[in-house]
Amino acid sequence: MHWPRETRAKIALYIILFGFVILAGRLVSLQVVKAGYYKKISDENRIRSLPRPAFRGLIYDRQGRQLVTNRASFTVALIPYEIRGNTQILSRASNMLGLDSTWLKKKLESRRYSAHEPIPVVREADFVAISRIAEQSENLPGVVFQDEPTRKYPQLKGSSHMLGYVSEISEDELKDKQRPELSAGARVGKMGIEKEYDLLLRGRDGVDFYEVSASGRVIGKLPDQEDQLPSPGLDLVLSLDFELQARAESLLAQYPRGCVIALEPNSGEVLCLVSQPGFDANSFASVLSPQEWLDLVEDPNHPLLNRATQSAYPPGSTLKLLVAGAALETGLLTPSTTFRPCNGGYQFGKRFFRCWDPQGHGTQDLKGAILHSCDTYFYQVGLKAGVDLIADYARRCGFGEKLGIDLPEESRGFVPTTGYYDKKFGKRGWTKSLALNLAIGQGEFLTTPLQITSFFGALSNGGIIYRPHLLKKIISRQGRVQEYEKTVIGRLPFSKSTLEFLSQACLAVVSQEGGTGRLARLVGIDVAGKTGSAQNPHGNTHSWFVGYAPAENPRIVVTVLIENAGHGGDVSAPMAREIIAAYLQARQELAEAPKTPE
Amino acid sequence: MKKIEFDLSTFLPVLFLSLLSVALIYSAKHASLNSLERILFAKQALWVILGLIVFIFAYRISLRTHEILAYFYYALGVLTLLALYFLGSAKYGATRWFNLGPFSIQPSEIMKLAAIVALARFLAYPKKSSHDFLWVIITVLMAALPMLLVLRQPDLGTSLIFLALALSLLFWSGLSVYLIFLLVTPLLSLPLAFHWISWGIFFVGVLIAIFYIRPGKWLGIFIILLNLGAGIITPLLWNRLHDYQKDRILSFLDPRKDPRGAGYQLIQSKVAIGSGGVLGKGYLNSSQARLEFLPMQHTDFIYSVLGEEFGMGGCLLILSLMIFLFYKGVLTAQKARNSFASLLAWGITTVLAFQSFVNIGMTVGILPVTGIPLPFLSYGGSAMLVNWAMWGLLSNVNARWQEY
Repeated sequence: MHWPRETRAKIALYIILFGFVILAGRLVSLQVVKAGYYKKISDENRIRSLPRPAFRGLIYDRQGRQLVTNRASFTVALIPYEIRGNTQILSRASNMLGLDSTWLKKKLESRRYSAHEPIPVVREADFVAISRIAEQSENLPGVVFQDEPTRKYPQLKGSSHMLGYVSEISEDELKDKQRPELSAGARVGKMGIEKEYDLLLRGRDGVDFYEVSASGRVIGKLPDQEDQLPSPGLDLVLSLDFELQARAESLLAQYPRGCVIALEPNSGEVLCLVSQPGFDANSFASVLSPQEWLDLVEDPNHPLLNRATQSAYPPGSTLKLLVAGAALETGLLTPSTTFRPCNGGYQFGKRFFRCWDPQGHGTQDLKGAILHSCDTYFYQVGLKAGVDLIADYARRCGFGEKLGIDLPEESRGFVPTTGYYDKKFGKRGWTKSLALNLAIGQGEFLTTPLQITSFFGALSNGGIIYRPHLLKKIISRQGRVQEYEKTVIGRLPFSKSTLEFLSQACLAVVSQEGGTGRLARLVGIDVAGKTGSAQNPHGNTHSWFVGYAPAENPRIVVTVLIENAGHGGDVSAPMAREIIAAYLQARQELAEAPKTPE
Repeated sequence: MKKIEFDLSTFLPVLFLSLLSVALIYSAKHASLNSLERILFAKQALWVILGLIVFIFAYRISLRTHEILAYFYYALGVLTLLALYFLGSAKYGATRWFNLGPFSIQPSEIMKLAAIVALARFLAYPKKSSHDFLWVIITVLMAALPMLLVLRQPDLGTSLIFLALALSLLFWSGLSVYLIFLLVTPLLSLPLAFHWISWGIFFVGVLIAIFYIRPGKWLGIFIILLNLGAGIITPLLWNRLHDYQKDRILSFLDPRKDPRGAGYQLIQSKVAIGSGGVLGKGYLNSSQARLEFLPMQHTDFIYSVLGEEFGMGGCLLILSLMIFLFYKGVLTAQKARNSFASLLAWGITTVLAFQSFVNIGMTVGILPVTGIPLPFLSYGGSAMLVNWAMWGLLSNVNARWQEY
């Protein structure tokens, strides 16, 4: 069908005319038919829109135990345009709530809020204050209270880093253009799971529209406007085992600083994650006093830091497995290779590099060197391998990069290369002695406890590196379940025979006479692992133990790191044993409960 | 040759609208507690003056020049839109602006004009053999690029302008309405795709329509592909999303679902317009509008200030004024002898009419809140300049309609 120009122009004009006639019709309806109604609202009454906070999703552990719930509480809020700078209302409100009136005034004038939005001024208001406001509501137009559920966290301070907390949105978060739905006064997840999965947990706030008289009396719901119902957040099921978590926390409680992390080696699921010292997440629910906040931030033990994922430490001797693997893989070493005997250290050039055991270990093969954690042997492996070979293998084993655990602000750790040393010391400014230290896990090399756990998990399961993960399931209110699928993020660059050798060595560390990890032994179950004692500038060595069990078919891999507590075999190994025993006991997979040997 | 005459009847109404805009913004914001908002009217006055200068340039510069530079404008517009991703700043939760100190530039406004000029140039040259509809495909793609870039900002309203522009220009180029209907089918596929039976029936219908309308090989394949894409890939992607992600997309498509902002705006807008009654409350006497709690009162909801202060009389006057202007625009397009000029006038008229309808429809509550400003009335520098530039071009065509 082809129309001439004139026809097309006419059609277009009719379309425009038609559209505008519809608009005119609507104007007549609003301004003539319903004019009285709207005039009334405009003259006498105001419209109040009150948000109805969505019910934030709950958090469960792997057995379905509630970790984080909500409890009822009241929030008092001010609506700026209803108060409109009326100082009488302000002073009355500040008296009643026990708040500073200048602070209130500043809050009201804050540009963060648009004038019709209620500004929360007291969270978790006590019942007395609420009932007084309710009584006085005629004299307090613009002062409203609403129930707004508050988070309730378990009484485990060492879990607060991982679970996180919820509090009022900050300036910076408001500017985040990825989250346009967040408005001033909203509460958002600030740490851990609460932050990582804020989008899932928070749901969507609804809103009620009310007609309010000039004196602030609520006349009723606005008739021609639908309320927008809040949609609740999604519930999360974590892979965490709450009992294990509590056990680990009680074990760690006697030390000032440290962490425990345990993974399921065949999926990367986090079984427990404790960081010591901790803090009480419940105290963030109400308004934290400036002093409490300062105490947390300025505490030299850094209680807000999640040591398992956000701190990086020298791995100490736990790195020897990686170095051995790299050397075996490249043919620099065979399991039967021997070096100059250990007489308590190793002379390199002018410098004597000490072994941790001044008695010396004599001549030994690779397995013996791992068993005794002999530094002298590994100095010589490091010399042969060099910095870059170790760095290359370390990267392929997941060090120096984030593993992508579902917690915010994971640390990368650090893997030094010759390039890094050239930059730091100049091209000729450093010697091979750095490779010696690197081979025993000292110096610039840094790992998070999570990374080393993931590495040993892969060693134990045949070489597969899974993404460490806390989220197990997402459950909607309608009961729809979405399961997290385990993700393979890499494979250890080791052949089958190398893996076999390394896991045998780990088993020997714990089970064989003279092994440094003897204290991790259990009766009736094979525990494998490696100790470490990391020298550091802050005092006594950090005590490491990474272990997994049962050695043949591992179900748990656990890392215990205790800062400045001495040798790994003495302090961390027995604690790891307790955690492994507790976990496997609860699984009832052993005919006999694992016992601590006499 | 006839002497060129300046048509005051198309100039004065637009000038009136612009000055009314300054007055309404003053009324809306003069009692604001925020001093930056109190001077918005002066800024708008400055934009009107600059707009007049732009108008003079657009009126005097030969259309030939724009025709030559058309694709350059287009490329420049696309580049600024792309640059927005890296340098833009967010207002009301969307990246639409470049910040330049006290002023900000909105590239999607500039892109609008660039797209009109470029499409007009492309469609002006009849390289169209009757059975080869490649030119239609190219037109759709030329409009789709800025449309998707703007949609991504996200600015659903403005992105729809590009769609309306492309369809309208194709119509003016003589494409049959049946073919235009076929081009729209993928959009209908989207909502129908949520059930495979409804979509299947629709798709068979489209196939039959293609068989009868015979859009040619390429256009036929193009339309089928678009429908398949909309009908099959969309539900696949959709079902992979989790509930909360769907929620976000739905609330993006239907901004009324955003409870805190848009819903409240809309109620207040209706109250303002309705309470204005037949005669209005008089200038500076609006109560709803002066309550400074409506952040968008001076931009997207300026019409509700008009409605409250000048009542139905004022509202209908402005509507008639606009119909008159669009009538003149269509006439200009009809009489212009040069096809580039004609398409240009047509495109400009379409865009202005579409925007006016969608904006006013939103303020009176019959269309969703999309954030399209009202031409010449809403606050906004980029928009004011671009609107005056468009009007300058239209007047240019109107004055020199005899030229080939």
